[in-house]
Amino acid sequence: MKIETASVDSFILYFEERICEEVLDKVQHAYHALKKLPYIINLTPSYHSILIEYDIFKYDTTSLKALIEEAIATESSLNAHRQGKRIEIPVDYSKGLDIERIALLHNLTPAEVIAKHTAQTYRVYAIGFMVGFAYLAKVDDAIATPRLGTPRKKVPKGSVAIAETQTAVYPQESTGGWNIIGHTEFDDYASFEIGDSVRFIAI
Amino acid sequence: MFKVLSPGIFTTVQDLGRQGYTHLGITPSGAMDEYAYRWSQKLLGDDAGNALEILLHGLTLQSTAPTTIAICGADLNFRINGISHPIWQTHQIRQNDILSFDQRKSGMRAYLAVKGGFHAKRYENSFSTTLKEEKGKKVEKGDTLAFTPKQSRQIIRVPQKYIPTYPTHITLRTLLSYQHSYFSKAQKEKFFSTDYILTLQMSRMGYKLEGEPIIPTKEGIISEGITYGAIQIPPDGKPIILLKERQTIGGYQKIGSVLPIDCFMLSQLPIGATVKFEPISLEDVQEEMKGFYGFFD
Repeated sequence: MKIETASVDSFILYFEERICEEVLDKVQHAYHALKKLPYIINLTPSYHSILIEYDIFKYDTTSLKALIEEAIATESSLNAHRQGKRIEIPVDYSKGLDIERIALLHNLTPAEVIAKHTAQTYRVYAIGFMVGFAYLAKVDDAIATPRLGTPRKKVPKGSVAIAETQTAVYPQESTGGWNIIGHTEFDDYASFEIGDSVRFIAI
Repeated sequence: MFKVLSPGIFTTVQDLGRQGYTHLGITPSGAMDEYAYRWSQKLLGDDAGNALEILLHGLTLQSTAPTTIAICGADLNFRINGISHPIWQTHQIRQNDILSFDQRKSGMRAYLAVKGGFHAKRYENSFSTTLKEEKGKKVEKGDTLAFTPKQSRQIIRVPQKYIPTYPTHITLRTLLSYQHSYFSKAQKEKFFSTDYILTLQMSRMGYKLEGEPIIPTKEGIISEGITYGAIQIPPDGKPIILLKERQTIGGYQKIGSVLPIDCFMLSQLPIGATVKFEPISLEDVQEEMKGFYGFFD
């Protein structure tokens, strides 16, 4: 773990530069520890880092660095938060605009694509791009699919989609290049937190 | 209230932004030039809490009630009933007065605050408009901007020494941070010696600059949190300075971050203006930022 200056009023905390569950667990653990510190303006966790924007009237850089290290060291064991909340998302796969194409690409039937998408437990690695857009990984390599060459002008709200080995739900209508494999009425996007576990249930 | 006779190019309600929600992907947003915004609030005795951010000229309003307003920031040739009036001060407005901004003289953004504040909807404790998140909307012709009529007797002016002139070249004090080690000494020298030009690609999200490209030694990074003033270097090597409506995370390398006070000034510079980056150390500038915020608190 290293703590670096990002700007006049922010640090960025880095773990190993890899995308994997082991690093995610550390980010999740540190995030929960840092949430308890006062006078933090924004905490932005992502795959292997946490941006910490703080009140410069309340902390000097040296004391805050020490406090961050102490908060993470004294936070209950790494396993305490492991996998976070469990969120289930019901999906209507019959509305998957790209599911037949994904099946063809991988020499599978659409039913097999659905089986592989619902078999995994995904973790929230990052939230961004738009409000409530959670990057979930890791999708089974057997159905991992590159982004569309030309993004769609309109991806409907609630679209469940795949890009490479990541999957996500579009929290609002937007442009987008991810492959749409289904649709959900799930609407609780504010509940996603870094490290949470997510499963998709076919309905 | 004000009736909007002409909406101008892009007029929105702003305040100091929405803090504490970036973990959900919610951008802070807020007034692009906090210096002018904070003066508009201070002039009204901090009895406003929000202001209209007026981009360039074209806005015309008619007041249906007497009130006191404060205008700071860009000089857009402010007029009351056709007569030019100075800005960086309060004005008494009478019923049926027409307020207009009809010509850009200097700066890009003016702030119009009204005593008691505009009645606008708050989202996550902030009045700041963010169109991409469907929080608030831009001001349109025929809109009404409601406020509770209140007047203060005194006219209050910003002392002359605090009124900025907006130049067409500024130096952006920059802390090397984030992925700066991905840039060679030669690339950094190029970065700090180039005059970069402001282009049409300027928005509340960020400013894309034109000039010498700088190229990192490594390609792409894992997406991470982006702070105010961060200088992103996309594959074409031309810097993008991320401002109030920045995305919360992103995967381009960043060479450092511009001091917030200098970003406020940047928000007032027109297309074609030039900027130069200057390296600074954290110790040099934290005290200055404290001085800035302390002055307005």
